[in-house]
Amino acid sequence: MNLRQLAEQDLAVTLEDSVFGFGWPVTLTDPQGVSANLTGQAHDISQIIDPDTGTAVSGRSCAFVIRQSSLAATGLGDPYGVPDSNSLPWLVSFESINGAPYTFKVEDSDADRVLGTRTLVLGVWNG
Amino acid sequence: MANITQLIDKQDVFEVVRDKIAVILADESAMQVQLATAAGKPDPSLWALKVYTERASPWDDAADGDIIVNVWFDTASVDEAASNTVRNQTMRGTFNIDVIGFGNSKPNGTGGHRPGDEVAALNAQRGLRLVRNIIMASSYTYLGLRTIVGQRMPQSITSFQPQLNSTPADHVVGARLALGVRYEEFSPQFEPAILQELGVRVERAEDGQVLAQLDYDYTP
Repeated sequence: MNLRQLAEQDLAVTLEDSVFGFGWPVTLTDPQGVSANLTGQAHDISQIIDPDTGTAVSGRSCAFVIRQSSLAATGLGDPYGVPDSNSLPWLVSFESINGAPYTFKVEDSDADRVLGTRTLVLGVWNG
Repeated sequence: MANITQLIDKQDVFEVVRDKIAVILADESAMQVQLATAAGKPDPSLWALKVYTERASPWDDAADGDIIVNVWFDTASVDEAASNTVRNQTMRGTFNIDVIGFGNSKPNGTGGHRPGDEVAALNAQRGLRLVRNIIMASSYTYLGLRTIVGQRMPQSITSFQPQLNSTPADHVVGARLALGVRYEEFSPQFEPAILQELGVRVERAEDGQVLAQLDYDYTP
């Protein structure tokens, strides 16, 4: 096993360890409504956005990083930002550190095919 | 030595105009909500605007579907040909009416979804539509300030696509209607000291005719 393969194996600890690491449970739902539970790392922080009017508004920067091999094992396929408004988007649900539940729409999906991770860039979903 | 003897305790006209624009938008959007309710529209809140002036601090409580309007004074230049160097200056001012629309992604009720970027853009454009129609209504040709406002005319309408982490933010869109207003600014005037009071005494007959008061020799 070379170092690159070892790094992918280490994702079980560095990305998915929810006991001693930063791993965080997430539910991924495809446009057909099929769901799977995964563990990855959550990113959900407020940010200030200037809509170019000079008056800032508060925004929210959200993402979730999952392990590609774990995603493949669910059989869901690769999430992506669904442009077609006639179908539902991929959805991601996870709780904040304080237990508040949130659901997000997958805006786009960035794969790291070297390390074997996928970053889901998320937008707020009013379901 | 100071020469101005009266307290400058007034608003300049550019402040009056800015506030008047905001009041017009607030009043008329409330009326539009009332009219939409009376017309049986399913969601009269679509005609609602939240109007503010001169705001720069972040909006932290905007909800999905909100439209925020911020009226602020930008620039003014003097029309020297039409101005008086002593008493009043004719100004051409630009008042920015910024419209910020918010929207989150949501199901569309028919098995699909409405993307947040589209919702936010349509909300901003709906707000822009209301603002333009209200401000350019014939009732507000002089913004209700006819003695001091000579003209109001949109200079430009611009949409903005804000960025979040170098990608387009998907829940907020900004737009701006730059409104040009021609108005008069006034300044404190010199109060002259009275050197000599002048007057004339006019003798009039009972019917108002001015009577002559000349003494001269006359032989009928």
